[in-house]
Amino acid sequence: MSLEAFAVSRALSIGVELELQLVGTHDYDLVPVAEDLLRATADADVEGDIKPEMTCSMIEISTGVCDGHASALQQLQALRDTLGSAARRLNIGICGGGTHPFQHWGERRIFDGPRFRHLSELYGYLAKQFTVFGQHVHVGCPSPDVALYLLHGLSRYIPHLIALSASSPFVQGSDTGFESARLNSVLAFPLSGRAPFVQSWADFEAYFRKMSDTGVVSSMKDFYWDIRPKPEYGTIEIRVMDTPLTIARAAAIAAYIQTLARYLMIERPIQVAEDDYLVYTFNRFQACRFGYDGTYVHPETHEHTTIGEEIIASLARIEQHAIELGADVALGRLHSDVTNGSNDARLLRESRASGTPLPELVMAQCARWMKEDAM
Amino acid sequence: MDLNVWPAWPLHFGGLLYAGLALAVTAIVGEVCRRADIPRVAGYALAGLLLGPAALGWFDAGALTTYRGIVDLCVALMLFELGIRLDARWFGANPGLLATAFADIVLALLIVFGALWAAGVDSDLAYAVAAIAVGASPIALMRVASEGRASGQVTDRMYALCALSLAASVILLNLAIGGLHGANRDWLLAIAHPLYQLAGSALGGALIAVAFGAIRKRLNPGSEQGTAAIVAVMLLAVAILTALRLPALLAPLFAGVIVKWRDPRPHLWPPQFGSIGGLLVIISFILAGSTISLDLLAAGAGVAALAIAARTAAKLCASAAFGPATGLDRRKSIALGLALMPLSVVALLQAIDVRSLYPEFGERLLAVVGAMTLVLGILGPIATWRALQRCNELHGGDER
Repeated sequence: MSLEAFAVSRALSIGVELELQLVGTHDYDLVPVAEDLLRATADADVEGDIKPEMTCSMIEISTGVCDGHASALQQLQALRDTLGSAARRLNIGICGGGTHPFQHWGERRIFDGPRFRHLSELYGYLAKQFTVFGQHVHVGCPSPDVALYLLHGLSRYIPHLIALSASSPFVQGSDTGFESARLNSVLAFPLSGRAPFVQSWADFEAYFRKMSDTGVVSSMKDFYWDIRPKPEYGTIEIRVMDTPLTIARAAAIAAYIQTLARYLMIERPIQVAEDDYLVYTFNRFQACRFGYDGTYVHPETHEHTTIGEEIIASLARIEQHAIELGADVALGRLHSDVTNGSNDARLLRESRASGTPLPELVMAQCARWMKEDAM
Repeated sequence: MDLNVWPAWPLHFGGLLYAGLALAVTAIVGEVCRRADIPRVAGYALAGLLLGPAALGWFDAGALTTYRGIVDLCVALMLFELGIRLDARWFGANPGLLATAFADIVLALLIVFGALWAAGVDSDLAYAVAAIAVGASPIALMRVASEGRASGQVTDRMYALCALSLAASVILLNLAIGGLHGANRDWLLAIAHPLYQLAGSALGGALIAVAFGAIRKRLNPGSEQGTAAIVAVMLLAVAILTALRLPALLAPLFAGVIVKWRDPRPHLWPPQFGSIGGLLVIISFILAGSTISLDLLAAGAGVAALAIAARTAAKLCASAAFGPATGLDRRKSIALGLALMPLSVVALLQAIDVRSLYPEFGERLLAVVGAMTLVLGILGPIATWRALQRCNELHGGDER
């Protein structure tokens, strides 16, 4: 099977996907209500999409193609409100967060659909353990070669994005010590991690053909890379983020990605190289484990700083682009979060440390998800 | 000197031996059912019957009178938990649910009463049977749900409808008792007694809720002390309610609803009080079975068969008609009606309480209700299990 052609998309347009948790209001454990919720929102007149996900206790919302921060935020708000009123009718809670803090994976059920059934058969318990909730952001690319440049360029910012979005400190009832434990579940999949270092679309097609000939993959969907090209949309898709606890943060992170992409596309500030990836998994681990305080090793200078400092530095570098895109206010909020050392994972952990039982933590997550303008 | 150091022959055993054997038999029947993909609680109901006067005769009707407190405690704990699962705010967000519950109650009352009356049953008895048929067994539903780790929309609605229909059933039966007082020309009592029961239960519920709130502030209900404290409150409540001649049904249910209304946080303890609760349930079924004899069943069988058919039709109609308006699809709506089939210990207690006031009438009522619980206590939980299974709401897992 050959790779489909890279579609035309508007450069720097964005699309945001959020995987959400569906929980009961009695014990705040996950509940299998995706089917009921989809039925309840089937007639909703709202931009974007509401889709089933791997297990019956998850749902995915996705915006349409957005120009920037404002339109993405507006669409996410409308989707959240639609889901919110359906959820009240069904007496369930909806929340963000990369993992459910105490769900037991053995109790999850796979959503009834051919692709989900296939994945479940292939991956066995991994598919159920994959009850984790991520934010994916698409960025429109004018050409496939630019898409690959952007993919490798953005790979330097993966730790930044992990630290900003981290919201999964608890797994199966325990504190993992990680800020984003969700990514550890993703790593169990055989085709996860980073994309191969190829810089032209022709080379990428050749790589895909070879992989396809091995019989290991049949479409781009079989790759669980941190960033992967999505030829059918003409985009690259950044997939390392946990679903934040609020849509304000989700939209701000999407705006950060869009601004970074504009900076990379227009200024072409770096020469991407295979050696960039020498430090990739180290940096990525540091971000998952320690968030802003993690060590960041610069791929060229090999200088050691913290991820927090790197985020602040990057925000300074891209300031002009943020203003052009109308993303400066949103990025300003991310900036102050980094200086204050606050993110969702720390918020959850502090709340837990003050004695909040995990079910009440999930209840607070649901309230936060519905809260207007919370970051 | 004649010291009692050597055992007398034949050996004399106290009641403990039978209690132990009965527990073992019931648990084993439950386990056999479980292996056959039938919920344990159906097996408990069956075992209770076998151990009682209907078959083995290890226990007779006196057993329930003696140990009534245990059954009341079990029911109170279950109903309190059921109440806490019922978030009254849900009805505001989805008024269709109230309509479903209303239809469920009214249709069951009218259709069962109508069917029995048309068949020539006297109207007092027809009404009392219909009032009891309105309810559903909280113990059976909750045990089935916890055994299959059920969760989802049908499960949640099943809890809600069970709570509302049971409350309605208790109130409707109170009115029936009022009617019996009236038939004796005691008009003041006919009005005052149902009012006393309702007001007393409401007040009792409020007091239990306050007590729980006070415990909740100091103890985690999931901890050992927390659970002990809740059981203690329920024991006190049952003792006081019994002394006041109030049924220990509505008050704990009201209490649970009030607690959840005032404090929407999750209130979690081991579901149905873990193994203590499980033991109480088994004992309750043994004691309930002790009230049912073959003579009684024979007397009530015909009317019971009719009442069961009418009740089944009514509950299915109500949920099939109103379920879709509340956000369920057709299949789940019908499943909801099926899930509400069980009728067991609580229904028997209701009939027994009537009998304590009006022995002759109560005996006839108990005959019908006993025969109904024979069928619906065993087949009902199986219907609930299958309905939830078909809607994919069981997590397949076992309790432990």
